[in-house]
Amino acid sequence: MSEARAIPAPEIAAATGWRASPLAMKGIAGVVLLVLWEAVVRAFAPAYVARPTGVATVFVKVLADPQFRAAAAATLWSVAQGLGISLVAGTALGLLMGRVSLVERGVRYYVFSLFATPMVAILPLATLWFGYNADARLAVVVFASFFSITINAADGARSVPGEYLEVARAFRARSVATLFDVVLPASLPYLFAGVRLAAGRALVGAVVAEFFISIPGLGYYILFNSRTFKHNEAFVAVIVLVAAGVGFDVLVNRLAQRYLPWARRA
Amino acid sequence: MRNTGRGTQGRWLHAGTVAGSLVLGAIVWEVTGRLTSGAFWAPLSATLASLRDLAASGALARYAGSSLELYATGLALGIVVGAPFGLLLARLAWLRVALEDYIMMLYATPMVALIPFILSMLGFGFTPKVLIVFLFTVFPVLYNTVEGARSIKPELVEVAQSFRSREWQLWRDVMIPFTLPFTMTGVRQAIARGLVGMVAAEFFLSPSGLGQMIMLGSQNFDTAGMLAAILVIVVLGVLLMELGRYIERRFAVWRGPDE
Repeated sequence: MSEARAIPAPEIAAATGWRASPLAMKGIAGVVLLVLWEAVVRAFAPAYVARPTGVATVFVKVLADPQFRAAAAATLWSVAQGLGISLVAGTALGLLMGRVSLVERGVRYYVFSLFATPMVAILPLATLWFGYNADARLAVVVFASFFSITINAADGARSVPGEYLEVARAFRARSVATLFDVVLPASLPYLFAGVRLAAGRALVGAVVAEFFISIPGLGYYILFNSRTFKHNEAFVAVIVLVAAGVGFDVLVNRLAQRYLPWARRA
Repeated sequence: MRNTGRGTQGRWLHAGTVAGSLVLGAIVWEVTGRLTSGAFWAPLSATLASLRDLAASGALARYAGSSLELYATGLALGIVVGAPFGLLLARLAWLRVALEDYIMMLYATPMVALIPFILSMLGFGFTPKVLIVFLFTVFPVLYNTVEGARSIKPELVEVAQSFRSREWQLWRDVMIPFTLPFTMTGVRQAIARGLVGMVAAEFFLSPSGLGQMIMLGSQNFDTAGMLAAILVIVVLGVLLMELGRYIERRFAVWRGPDE
């Protein structure tokens, strides 16, 4: 085997000039994608369609707009509330499902089928029950996030190693203490995975609810501005949504790395 | 799998409690439906009667057919575009490095947020709806395929090349077997996300299919009809999720033991 053969592929690439570092390549790719987007829109699409220069022009103005800030706050607050409710209730139900087989058998079909149900389908039902208001949005957010947390909490509780429980029993730990000190910490890695999944679903839930109910929020901001052909403004809201989703993901990962060293490999 | 090591009696007990919970759920549905106003909730019997009428009149088949046409077209496009492109990125490492962060970003983007743009640019036809389902499905497939591509050890490619593998042999023996299980995880996610995209497209573009069925029920204050339509979607969702799991498991055996 010659000397060059032994060098891993990325380093061969590194030797060939402009592909100097992955970071540079990512940057170049980003610029190419933006230029492509700009060019395609300029060449083929009507003037109102969002394009990078257009979005950049309005970006700061939109972020400073009090109406936009109120919309973002409303959506994100609703998502936070809904996630909080789902986290508490979903964890409780999930841990019960994982540890008590009667509960598991009793509710698993309901939990799994509602998990598989697209949350968009329950929008009319939510508005029937709660009216065309923020409560309906919250209900959709909870529906969107609850079942993924429940399922993951149940998986986590089921995965607790039997030895842990035996030790707890040997030390005559009460069942409440076992639940909080053994089962819950051991299922946290699963729970974190569930929360990450739930957060994405919750954001989608809030946005579709706002489309449907027409209450102030990022979803409605997008709907309203794209209807009035202000696509650049509307696209800023999409960027904020993506940033919120990715930001939350990063936050959860950081928390997991920091406080759950045993969660390295779930 | 869950039942292994349990006796016949245990299995009967298991089946019994599950059946009991389903019967209990049906009774609760029926009783709450009778106790509450018809504007909010309808009894199970009324829902099933409505479903039977819809099925008998052929409306259910028509709506479901329209939905499935949209769903299948969008999903097929998502897979046909996402998987080969992901595989290409498995082979061209420099392109993968350049693009993977953007693919991840698009994978994380809530695609529903793009629906209003599509609506105002492309209108109400079948094509924009397919585009929505496509956008919902293509990124899970692509993202997971690229994840698979990252998992291919460069040594494997080197060994194959040392043994003078031709390009197509390299694809057949290394690239495809290593990335396909990951692609199938993406397909499972796409199957679920595509259903959300389908209903969202039917709600927010021109009403059609099962989405329209739900809307009609809610607009006509026909709660039983609406619940019947939702029930169809729930069943569809469960069946599709099982299908996705089956596909994923079918290919999971290809994954190496050190995953």
